[in-house]
Amino acid sequence: MTWGEDHELVARIVAVQDTRAFGELIRRHQSHVRNFLRKLSGDMSAADDLAQDCFMRAWDKLHTYSGSGTFIGWLLKIAYTTFLQSKRKSKRYAEILEQVGHVSEAESRTYAVQADEVTDLDKFLAVLSEEERAIMVMSYACGLSHREISEATSMPVGSVKSVIFRGKEKIRTSFDIKDHQHG
Amino acid sequence: MISKIINMAERMKDEQDRLLESMFESAPIADNGFSNQIVRRVRRKLWLRRITLPVAVGIGLLIAFRPMAALVTGVYELLLSMPGDLVPSLEGSLPSLQLIVTGALVLGVAMFSLSMLED
Repeated sequence: MTWGEDHELVARIVAVQDTRAFGELIRRHQSHVRNFLRKLSGDMSAADDLAQDCFMRAWDKLHTYSGSGTFIGWLLKIAYTTFLQSKRKSKRYAEILEQVGHVSEAESRTYAVQADEVTDLDKFLAVLSEEERAIMVMSYACGLSHREISEATSMPVGSVKSVIFRGKEKIRTSFDIKDHQHG
Repeated sequence: MISKIINMAERMKDEQDRLLESMFESAPIADNGFSNQIVRRVRRKLWLRRITLPVAVGIGLLIAFRPMAALVTGVYELLLSMPGDLVPSLEGSLPSLQLIVTGALVLGVAMFSLSMLED
């Protein structure tokens, strides 16, 4: 069976709850969503769990997709919200454990990758704040426009541009990119 | 000044943009059953949603049957015990208790079937 454009699939899913069409949508976009969440969290398995949650939420919210922006932009908005909510949850959990005197294993899930896997990109991402990281990944890894990022993060376009500018500045100053190029 | 720089940066890709793009570029992640796993979860969720209402209605009917029957009997007996001049033709016009309960059950089953068809 040949499937149409994303918005046609969405319309079909909303109309008849076609799970096969939803499967096709996932196949098309899972790589972007998982990549985004992996780069955001630095934890591959946690990112894949979050990606599953993201698609489950997308299923519930598909009727709210208006078709005005790209589907991947809409999906990444859900992925980012899912990530932030999971962060908040694990932070609350860590606080509770701290209160009862336990050392939390989920200790502030900041960006952390295993020592033997640290790449230049990991080093770049580590100097950025969470918000900067999300926006930089959306821009450079997922190829979203400033307007799409603005919709995904609910930030004004001007702020998105500032964050990208700031992120680039941070990377530039932290790694002295002018003097020696990477790659 | 800064906004001018930002606007320029949006339009033009500088060396750092190209560098960042190549750094952020990553090989596509293979699906390896990821999408099927989610589709299975969605189907399970749909199935649960479809079955929840009928099961709840069934259990509700089972629980409510005895008190409802008692209530209907009570009302029926009350109406029968009323003076004849208040409800002159009551005895002839009231359906039997059995008919009322059967009617309620048929109505319940019909509503249940309609909700199933709608799903």
